Amino acid sequence: MTIDAVYLLQLTLNGITLGLLYALIAVGLSLIFGVMEIINFAHGELLMLGAFAMAFALPVTGLLYWPAMAAAVLCTMVAGFVVYETLLVRLKTDEFERSILITLGLSIVLIHVMQYFFTATPRIIDTQYGFDGVDIGSIRITWTRVIGAVAALVAFAGLYLILRFTQFGRAMRAIAQNREAALMVGIRPRVVARNAVVLAAGLCGLAGAAIAPIQLVTPYMGQFLIFKAFALVIIGGLGNIPGAVIAAIALGLIENWIGGFFTIAWQDASVFVIMIVVLFLRPDGLFKRGGMRVG
Amino acid sequence: MKLVLAIAAALAFAALPFLSGSNYIVGVGTSALIFTVAAAALNLIYGFTGLLSFAQLGFWGIGGYATALTVVTFGGNFWTGVLAAAAINAVVALVVGYPMLRTSRHAFVISTLTFALLVSLIARDWVDLTRGPLGIPDLPPPRAFGHVFSSTHQFYGIAWAFSVAMLAFLYVLCSSRIGRTLVAIKQNEPLVRAQGISPMPYKLAAFSISAAITGAAGGVFVFHLGIVDPLILDFYYMQTFLIIVIIGGTGSFWGVVVSGVALSALPEALRFSDDFRMIIYGVILVVAMFAMPSGVAGWLRERELARLRASLR
Repeated sequence: MTIDAVYLLQLTLNGITLGLLYALIAVGLSLIFGVMEIINFAHGELLMLGAFAMAFALPVTGLLYWPAMAAAVLCTMVAGFVVYETLLVRLKTDEFERSILITLGLSIVLIHVMQYFFTATPRIIDTQYGFDGVDIGSIRITWTRVIGAVAALVAFAGLYLILRFTQFGRAMRAIAQNREAALMVGIRPRVVARNAVVLAAGLCGLAGAAIAPIQLVTPYMGQFLIFKAFALVIIGGLGNIPGAVIAAIALGLIENWIGGFFTIAWQDASVFVIMIVVLFLRPDGLFKRGGMRVG
Repeated sequence: MKLVLAIAAALAFAALPFLSGSNYIVGVGTSALIFTVAAAALNLIYGFTGLLSFAQLGFWGIGGYATALTVVTFGGNFWTGVLAAAAINAVVALVVGYPMLRTSRHAFVISTLTFALLVSLIARDWVDLTRGPLGIPDLPPPRAFGHVFSSTHQFYGIAWAFSVAMLAFLYVLCSSRIGRTLVAIKQNEPLVRAQGISPMPYKLAAFSISAAITGAAGGVFVFHLGIVDPLILDFYYMQTFLIIVIIGGTGSFWGVVVSGVALSALPEALRFSDDFRMIIYGVILVVAMFAMPSGVAGWLRERELARLRASLR
């Protein structure tokens, strides 16, 4: 098989954009796990809500991309707040299995309520950028992908700055590193956990809004993405944010390369195979859980 | 006393096809028996050993495909098919279970989920073997000694014998020293280690046995349906098993058996709309986790304990 350099570059660029969007989801999961030691099974449904919010906001804003995206992020942050205050707040620490089952129930309800009201018919989302793209030599990438990747990068930079330099973010890291010590210096776990969930939901909504114009929007769209994100979080080491980002970008690339050169069946399966191999070699994931370090 | 009740209940279930001429009711009964076995197998790994395993769904699907393929592609019969399903699942569970069980309990849950998804991708995409999304329709009815189990009523007999045998095996296992060791691992693993017991072989054995039984149940179930396709790996089945175990009471053998039979009738009663049914399932799951985290059996046990305490005062 001869490898065409242009084709390879095209796959690589697509892989990076996809990987950045995966990373947005995985980082949210990692953040929640770091602070609360739970896994949010309904995280994919937050993404789906973000995508639907984008789909409904676009016609209102006259197909303007950025206001619609802001509306979607705001909408999922509110959803995250509600989920935390009604369900997750009742969980005690060390109730991992219970957290999974509760959020699993929530995810079933959200998927089917959305399907009941908006049907399972896939929607194509049109934005002000349409399907225009930017041409680099003979390579073509649509604007929606470029903007999605840029938005993800900006979000990561923002997250890094928040976690590193603000009191808000330092409290999250403190809880993740040592719960008792954080309590002793007067950090309230409840408030910090709520902030973490809302922040993670916002990242997820951003991912949903960015994915909406790239893929089809259906009530089920979150489910498959979240399963991949779970695998990524495991590969990167549970609760390790940089690990999740690296694993996500690597997966985006690997998936696109495999999809480009082999049958499409291997594309979806690759992440799960990689995860089982990684667990076999390194049971704690590739990067050890360092109590949610950011730098 | 419990045993007498159980035998009486088993015999009562054996009489169902003679009491009802309706294919629909007997068909629901068949599903109920098979679901109860799968839920009891999930109870072995989750309720007793404390490992929440979503891989059960994968084993259920592997079992269904293994049985169907044994009959259709490899020229075996239903009985060898079910045995093959159990054997293949036991081996697969050992192979994937070892790396998964070495991880933390958090990673275990997610990696089992991933395994189930991988199985469903294989079922969909390995078209040469599984025939892809079209599945394998028209599975022939099982036969033994020249007798063909073609009608729903006759198939019910197979499902009944299967579930009674499997539940009896699981009961013996759960109430044996092995079962108590599994509970000990769930409650306090460091203490188990301190007693000189290595938890790994026990966990691996529980995972593998539970996989084999789930697989065999899946095999029987696809012959009840008469078709196997990737829908056998629908997450709906996993949710059903989980709800049965949680409502019945994790770690309570009889609680799960009773709720298995009772709740398998529920999806039939709620068949007015698929979406509504799933919404109700989700709501039941959330409410049960808050209102009765240890299920009906756990709730009854707590009440009994409270009464004992009160009587000692």
